[in-house]
Amino acid sequence: MRKFWLIVKREYVTRVHTKGFIFATILIPVLSTGLFAFSIFLATRQNNRTMNIAILDNTGGFASAISKSLSNTLPNGLPAFRVVQTIDRPSSEEAARKELLAQVNAGSLDGFLVLPKNITEAKAAEFHTRNTGDFTLEGTIGHAVSDAVITRRLSDRGIRVENLRDVIHNVEIKMVKVTRQGETEEKGQTFITAIVLAMLLYMTLIMYGIVTMRSVLEEKTTRIVEVLISAVTPFQLLAGKIVGVAAVAFTQYLIWIGTASLLGAYGGALAAAYRPGASIPIIRVPPLVLVSLLVYFLLGYFLYASIYAAVGAAASNEQDAQQMQLPATLPIVMSFIMFNVILRDPSSTLSVVLSEIPFFSPILMLLRISVQTPPLWQIALSILLLLITTLGVVYFSARIYRVGVLMYGKRPSLVEILRWLRYT
Amino acid sequence: MDAVLIDHVTKSYDGVTAVNDLSFAIKQGAVFGLLGPNGAGKTTTLRMMMRILVPDTGSIRILDEPLTGRTQDLIGYLPEERGLYQRMEIGKILVFLGALKGLTETEAGRRTGQWLERFELTAWAKKKLIDLSKGMQQKVQFIAAVIHQPPLLILDEPFTGLDPVNAILVKDIMLELRAQGATIILSTHRMEQVEMMCDSICLIHQGRNVLHGDLREIKKSYGKNTLRIECSGDGNFMNQPALIEKVNHYGEVIEARLMPGADPQEILKAAVQQGVRINRFELVEPPLNDIFIEKVGGARA
Repeated sequence: MRKFWLIVKREYVTRVHTKGFIFATILIPVLSTGLFAFSIFLATRQNNRTMNIAILDNTGGFASAISKSLSNTLPNGLPAFRVVQTIDRPSSEEAARKELLAQVNAGSLDGFLVLPKNITEAKAAEFHTRNTGDFTLEGTIGHAVSDAVITRRLSDRGIRVENLRDVIHNVEIKMVKVTRQGETEEKGQTFITAIVLAMLLYMTLIMYGIVTMRSVLEEKTTRIVEVLISAVTPFQLLAGKIVGVAAVAFTQYLIWIGTASLLGAYGGALAAAYRPGASIPIIRVPPLVLVSLLVYFLLGYFLYASIYAAVGAAASNEQDAQQMQLPATLPIVMSFIMFNVILRDPSSTLSVVLSEIPFFSPILMLLRISVQTPPLWQIALSILLLLITTLGVVYFSARIYRVGVLMYGKRPSLVEILRWLRYT
Repeated sequence: MDAVLIDHVTKSYDGVTAVNDLSFAIKQGAVFGLLGPNGAGKTTTLRMMMRILVPDTGSIRILDEPLTGRTQDLIGYLPEERGLYQRMEIGKILVFLGALKGLTETEAGRRTGQWLERFELTAWAKKKLIDLSKGMQQKVQFIAAVIHQPPLLILDEPFTGLDPVNAILVKDIMLELRAQGATIILSTHRMEQVEMMCDSICLIHQGRNVLHGDLREIKKSYGKNTLRIECSGDGNFMNQPALIEKVNHYGEVIEARLMPGADPQEILKAAVQQGVRINRFELVEPPLNDIFIEKVGGARA
C-alpha cells in the first residue's frame, strides 16, 4: 500500500508541476471567463451610428409608413435609421438601383431597401448593404416592412388600423422549468449549463485518458517500467497511475468549480458594472448536478483511463498508440454525437436506454440530470451498471497492461492482445 | 545459504518454451555470470527471480525465502535496456526509486546525495535526466540499482556506455558491495569480463542449463588443450588438421585447440622449420569464449 501511494504521489506531483497543467487550469477558466465577458460585450454592444438608408419603392406609397416604423433610437439617443432618400415608382428600376448602388459604394448611403411591384402580393423585399453581418438588422427592417405591408393589406380589405402592433402582437409563451426544488423560469440557462457541463466531461475524459495513456507509454518506451515492476506489482503501478492522474483531474475540477462559483457570485455584478441594466442569465448549477458531474467524471475516468492505459501498454510507440486508441475514443465521441437525442427529449425511451449504457452513461446521464431530473432509480441503475462495467474493464485492462508493458516491437494484433488475457 | 535457488523452473509463452526445466544455485557472496546467446531465456529467468513473471512449474527462492513483495526489495536491478523518467530531476528519480525499494524518503534522499557525490554528479542533482549525457544517465541508472543496498544485485551489461574511468568506478563499487556480503549476478556477452570477475557461471541455451558451476573448475575440466602462440611471420605452419582441431588468428596472436593426444612439440617444430619467429608458445586452458561457442554451437548442431 505504501508503494501504491508513492506511485500516486509521483504521478500527481510531477503532473501538477508541469507547465501543461498550470496552463490548462488557468487558461480554460480564463478563456471561458473571456468568452463569457465577450458575449456580454456582444449582447450589450450596439451601433452608435445612425444608418442612412434609401427606399426604392416599386409599388408606391410605402416609404413614409416604413420610415415611421424604423423609429427606434440608439443607446446614445440618436435615431437608428434615417431615410435620406425615397424613390417612388421610378420610370426605370434598373437605373435607380444603379444609382443607389453607386451611393452605397461611395459611402454616402449605408444601404437601400427595394420593395418589388405589388408588394402586397409578393413575399420578399431586398435590403442591400455592405455589412450583412449584423443579423439584428434583418429583423428590424423586416418588421418595419411587414407592418407597413400588412397595414396596407388590411386597409385594402376595408379595415383601418392606426397602430398595427396593437392588433397583431403575439402572445408569448414563458417556459417554466419544474424541478423538485420548485419552479424556475427558463431563459435557456438550463440548456447552456447542461451542454457546458457535458462538454467539460467529454473534454476531460478524453484529455485525462490520453494523459494516462502517455504516462504508461512513457514508462514503457523508456523501459523504466522494468525497474518499477521489479519493485511493485503491475496492478499497483497501474492503479497508482490512474489514481494519481484522477487526483490531478480532480484538482483541476476543484479550481474550475471555485472559479465558476466566483463568477456565479460576482459575474452579474461585473456585467452590471460594465453596462448598467444589462440582464445576465445567472447560471446556477444545482448541487445534485455538481455531485453527478464529479461522480460520473470519476467513474467514467476510471473506465476510460483503464482502456487508454491498456492501449498505452500494448503500443510500443506514439504512432501505434494513436492508431490503437480508437476503442477508447470512439464511445466518448459517440456520446458526444448523441447529445442531440437527449436534448430533444430527455425522457424518451431512446434517451433513457442510451443513458443507461455504461460507455455512454457518464456523459449522457449527466446531460439528462442537468436538463431534467430523471427518476432516481434510473440514476442509481446507471451508476451501478457503470460501476460493474468499470470493474470488469479495469480487470481486463490490468491483464493486458501486465503483459503489454514488457512486450516490445511490432504492434500486437487484437488476437494477440486477447491471448494476453489468458497469461498467468 | 544460497542467494538464489532455481529449482526445475519452466516457463512458456504461446507454446514457446522460454525456460525449460532450469535448475541452478548461486552461493551468497558470489559474483555469478548468467550467460547465454540472445533469446536463450536469460531475461525470462531474471524476470522470474524478480517476480515480474511467474514460473509455470518449479520454484524459486531468494535468500532462502519464497518470492514475495519482500524479496523484491532485496534485489537491485540494472536492466540491459536503460531508461528512467526523461523529464524528472535525477535527484527526485533516485529518491522515488529508493523509496519504492523500501527506503524511507529521508533515507533515500541522504543516500542519493552520497551516491551523486561519488559519481561526481552532485552539480546535476536538480537537472532533468534528458539534460545529461548518455554516460551520466548510465551512472544515474547504476545508482538506482544499488541505492537501497540490495543483498542481491542483478546487472545486465553494466559496463556498456561507460568510459574506462567510470567502468573502473562501477567495477570497484561492485567489488565493494560484494565485500559487504552482496551477491552479484552479471549477465553479459563479454566473456573477458566474466573471466575477470565471476566465481561461477551458468550457461543457458534454448532455455536449458547447458553448463554451470565454478568457473575455474569448468576451465580446468577442459584441461590445457589450447595453444596460444605469439609470433611474426607466416601462420601457415598451423595448417595441420591431424594435430589441430580449430584455429583462431588474431594478427600476432594465434589460438588453436589441439586434437586429443596431439603433441604441441610437433607444431613448434613445423614453425621453426618454416622460419617463423616465435615470441611466446604456451599451453593454456580454453578461453571462456571458446567454451561458450562450443556449448552453444554444439547444441545447435
